[in-house]
Amino acid sequence: MKTSPFLGIVFGLAAICTLTPAPGVAQTSATTPYTPPRTRDGHPDVQGIWQALNTAAWDVEDHHASLGVPAGRGVVEGGAIPYQPSALAKKQENFAKRATLDPESRCYLPGVPRITYMPHPFQIVQQADKVSMLYEYQHAVRYIYMNGNPHPRGPIEWWLGDSRGRWEGNTLVVDVIHFNDLTWFDRAGNFHSDALHVIERYTPTSPDHMLYEVTIEDPKVFTRPWKMSMPLYRRQERNSELFEYQCNAYLIEQEWNNPASTLFEKR
Amino acid sequence: MSRRVVAAITALTVVLWVLVLAPGPAAGQAFWPKDTPKLPMATTWIARKAKLPPYTPRRTPDGVPDLQGDWSGAGGDNNSVLEEHEYIDVTTPAQESFVSDPRDGKIPYTPWALAKRNEILAGLARGWPGESGDRLYTSPGSFCLTAAPVFSFDAQEIVQKPGYVIMLSDDAYRVIPTDGRPPISQNAKFWLGNARGRWEGNTLVVEVTGLNGKGWFDSTGQFYSENTRMVERWTLVDANTIDYEVTVEDPTIYTRPWKMNFPKRRAGTGPSGAPRGISVASTLPPVNNDPYANELWETACYEGNTESLRSIHSLGYKWFTGVTPPK
Repeated sequence: MKTSPFLGIVFGLAAICTLTPAPGVAQTSATTPYTPPRTRDGHPDVQGIWQALNTAAWDVEDHHASLGVPAGRGVVEGGAIPYQPSALAKKQENFAKRATLDPESRCYLPGVPRITYMPHPFQIVQQADKVSMLYEYQHAVRYIYMNGNPHPRGPIEWWLGDSRGRWEGNTLVVDVIHFNDLTWFDRAGNFHSDALHVIERYTPTSPDHMLYEVTIEDPKVFTRPWKMSMPLYRRQERNSELFEYQCNAYLIEQEWNNPASTLFEKR
Repeated sequence: MSRRVVAAITALTVVLWVLVLAPGPAAGQAFWPKDTPKLPMATTWIARKAKLPPYTPRRTPDGVPDLQGDWSGAGGDNNSVLEEHEYIDVTTPAQESFVSDPRDGKIPYTPWALAKRNEILAGLARGWPGESGDRLYTSPGSFCLTAAPVFSFDAQEIVQKPGYVIMLSDDAYRVIPTDGRPPISQNAKFWLGNARGRWEGNTLVVEVTGLNGKGWFDSTGQFYSENTRMVERWTLVDANTIDYEVTVEDPTIYTRPWKMNFPKRRAGTGPSGAPRGISVASTLPPVNNDPYANELWETACYEGNTESLRSIHSLGYKWFTGVTPPK
């Protein structure tokens, strides 16, 4: 039987669609068989300088471009963040007033996971009792303790939360709680409360790639837990190193002699 | 000092700062009575160091001296005063100079730079004798900036990896390449500069260039410039003590290179409580059963000090932009 050329095109398109990952899902897959090298302590070695290469810093959901903002696919699995109705209204208000309300505009520590996909590199240093995340942004540090201590008893409100890690196979799993309610997920006003619970999964998928998956739980703001995922890339430049982005210093210096500055007002 | 005590003192200090308008709302402060014996610094330390027997540190698997571990030191707090002085007030007891060379303990400024330094000192408005009454500059440290590696960054833990030495604190880090790579262009300036390390015998030598010259060594306006080169030498002199030495070179503001020396003590192996003054006497490690005692917890200094930022600004202090010596 002779096949119609039209049907061939349809089948061809179907094949392409099948091979194309769903939007929001990172192209490196956790199921890719890859065995990373080991540290002296016998754990997967994920040390080095890493960076996200996407537009999540501007908006973790699908978005079009505007001045200074590149368009991009969201990193939220399923497309949209499942806000409760009142929280969605607050997100929209945040977006409208983002130029002044975004905590990044004050150079505050940006929270987790936002600090991971800021447009700056970060360096991972592993020791037996902890994994240290050194961020170029604001010289910020985050210690992911793996020393057997549970989360300290609260109440504690930290900008970067309290991080406790463990290895599941080749995956570094980090449980983060004890957040304040002052950080956002991006520059588009996506937000959380102090009930935020973040579970990060860092899975090496090649010598130069990791899959970064984040589960977000916050019953005060969302109707259900939701996930982000994205690849992280090892910086390939020879002699790559972290420099500094001392955001608060640049901001204070710029605003010090600005009579119209709002930096020194109470808010 | 435990982190919780530091946090409590920080909170208390912020309150006091607002009440008495004293600069320097930072952690690690103590309130010193007038009869506090002069705190020992470089002179005492150099004399004690001279009596120590030679020491060969153990090596890492990569064959370089092993400086790893948790450290606490004589590094300054925000009220630190670099040169020798008598008792000034409760924040500032009598103390020897951090400067070991020249022997008089004074930074060898050029005449122009010394005049500038004295102008800053007279305008601190801390209620100290000899002030002009003007409010000129407050310590850049008041804004929780991580500036020059000395004093403003306190290496609470040292980690070594092939090709790197990493220094960690509760609010910042230094990553120092030791693989021989060249520094970045001197046109690029940074608050912490650009550091390159190498091993010389038992010593980690770190050259810092590319400084932006906007930080101070202490809280009283002892400055460097964007032309300054600092050469740090980190040497274990016994199992639990690092001699920290830094040579500061800058012909545009100093008449000759000068040095500071102070010890860093392995955490938990010496007297605790006093944030300043060298502590070289060996005592039994204090027992600390808190399983979290060795963890470094978030301090969020800048985020927590927005009130003092507002206060300093409203009091009319200027922002220190560094010094530009005449050609």
